[in-house]
Amino acid sequence: MKLSKLLLTTAAAALAVTGVSVSAFSADREVKIAGFGAKSGVVRSFGVNTEAVMKAAVKHINDKGGIKLGDGTMGKLTASFDDDRCNAEEGISVLRRIASTDAVVAVGPTCSNVAEPLFGILQKKVDDASDSGLQMPIFTDTAIKGGLAKISQWAFRNVPNETVMYQTMFKWLMGKHPGIKTIYGGVEEDFAHSRFTWYKVMKVRSAEAGYDVKGESKWLLNDTNFTTQVREMKKAKPDAIAISAHPFTTCGVLKEMQRQRVKPKLLIGLTSSSSLETLNGCAKQAEGIIIPTSFAPVTDDARAAAAATAEMGGSADLHSAAAWEIVLILADVMEKQGIMAKPDTLQADRRKIRDGLASLKSTAGLLGKIKRTEEGEATKPYLYVHAKTGEWAVLHDPSQQ
Amino acid sequence: MDLVDFVQSITDGLLFGATYALIGIGFTMIFGVMHKINLAYAATSIAGAYVSWAVGTLLPLPALVTFVVAAIGGGIVGYLVYLCCFKFIPVTSPLATLLGTVGMLILIDEIIVHETNGMPQPYPALFDDVYFEIGEFYGIRGDLLFIFFLSLIATAILLYILYRTKLGIATRAVAQQPVAAQLCGISIERTNASTFVITGLLGGLAGAMIGASVGVLSPLLTLPITIKGLIVTVIGGLGSIPGAIIAGLLVGAFENFFQALRGVTERDMYVMLLLFAFLTFRPGGIFSKTTSRD
Repeated sequence: MKLSKLLLTTAAAALAVTGVSVSAFSADREVKIAGFGAKSGVVRSFGVNTEAVMKAAVKHINDKGGIKLGDGTMGKLTASFDDDRCNAEEGISVLRRIASTDAVVAVGPTCSNVAEPLFGILQKKVDDASDSGLQMPIFTDTAIKGGLAKISQWAFRNVPNETVMYQTMFKWLMGKHPGIKTIYGGVEEDFAHSRFTWYKVMKVRSAEAGYDVKGESKWLLNDTNFTTQVREMKKAKPDAIAISAHPFTTCGVLKEMQRQRVKPKLLIGLTSSSSLETLNGCAKQAEGIIIPTSFAPVTDDARAAAAATAEMGGSADLHSAAAWEIVLILADVMEKQGIMAKPDTLQADRRKIRDGLASLKSTAGLLGKIKRTEEGEATKPYLYVHAKTGEWAVLHDPSQQ
Repeated sequence: MDLVDFVQSITDGLLFGATYALIGIGFTMIFGVMHKINLAYAATSIAGAYVSWAVGTLLPLPALVTFVVAAIGGGIVGYLVYLCCFKFIPVTSPLATLLGTVGMLILIDEIIVHETNGMPQPYPALFDDVYFEIGEFYGIRGDLLFIFFLSLIATAILLYILYRTKLGIATRAVAQQPVAAQLCGISIERTNASTFVITGLLGGLAGAMIGASVGVLSPLLTLPITIKGLIVTVIGGLGSIPGAIIAGLLVGAFENFFQALRGVTERDMYVMLLLFAFLTFRPGGIFSKTTSRD
């Protein structure tokens, strides 16, 4: 009697354990998103913030139960993050490694000089049998240099369109400050994004808006002495100065401008400088600088994303906040495309995600609706912010015009 | 370029070149004593400045005290570099110590990056609001002038230590005749260690001066300062302190002049041409005796 009772109990326990394992397996089917970007060197903060945002967004989705897979079971998202050191070779190596794992999609990279060659190793056109490029969907949050997604049909970006942002901002500024007629540029000559934004965006769009572009001063990312460049600015006597550089040299130049008493009526900055780094380095000198940005905690969703990111030890800004939107968009696409998240469906899942992303016409964003272009780019809502008493404050919302 | 621009460029370059001179002195002293290159020296200097910044975040300090803390920080980091890269690595293997210092350069840089997330950090300066204007387009930065004079004072103190103290005599003895110095009872290890501490103190001060001149500290500073320091050391002559001083000022002026004349993208090319010219026509540096090539 005792023996049969023991057997019965053991059998019941075994059944219960098996049952629990099965249900746990179903509930815990993992859908892996592999993030990558710069977590070393002077751009480390970009990677740190993106990782924090991704993890916060994944937690946000998992707390709501995860995503519904193609067979009706629920899958939990997981996010990893690899460091590419803002180096093209390392970025390519990281992506190849990600492609060899069971990650269904990659999110990154940080730097445009990585994104450009990286997109080049992807298959250019889907279903092109003669192209042996990687077939892995990539959704970029930070690398902002214009027009990169068209390199491959597997590449997508959720970065702001700087051309549109600066075009409208210069027009708005011209209307608001009609007395300001001349502009002078300062450009970090050896950084892809800064260079592109000055020569192809700021310079061209400010001239279109009616400004007389008096020239530009150049410096390098590692420079420590800006006396000559600021003297050039002083000589040009412009009404406005536009600085297309990252926080370290932006701060160096702003401090030198203060020393040489160069006080333009208007100061305009690069999108990437609308971050904590600039205020951390030179809040006093940056006071009043105007920058267009696609993120500010001005809506309930944006505030919630910023708070969740802060809990993860990061900061939501123009670049990193895009990763929040990306994770939410991916979760939506995965559900709609019915991915299975099984080892034998890995490549099919990647293809479904790519197709889903390619078919998007618009998505929800933290500041409002984001339009998607046929080339895999985004047209995001944006604001103009300015540095005010050590913080970024909204100066103008163009959507309210 | 008109005359005012020319004079202005040279002035700015000379003033900023004082920091290159300090870095060059550190490189050259270590080489003079140990006959080894310490590639982590500029990183040590910037690390010293970061130590003072970190202390400043905990306890607000006046700028002058911050510079002193930077020097002390540089001295401590310098000693650690000596322990890790020279003391326990066989001196018979010159490549080992050289690679050790390369590793240390990267390690120090990455520690700074990880601790600050690579973010630029504001660094205090003295007289940064002082600007002596002569005419509309000629001016001298008060902070650079201060840095220039502080560098001269630091160099004078260093020369005093080297030529008027027992420690200095021991250092020079080890540099010139290590075996004879040892026979006279001078501890080579202690002299080497003290050289690293002294150059670290000087480097920390140089790091602080560089941070103060930019107004911001960034890990971006280590590599260019390392390269400039090495160029200054070679042009000045390996082991020559007066050479490092003159070369520092020369490189600063040369760099700034060509930046104004040819632009930032060509600037470093001319500095490299200057280096090659010295390597070819005066390989022993400014203060070397005339030597002929084999």
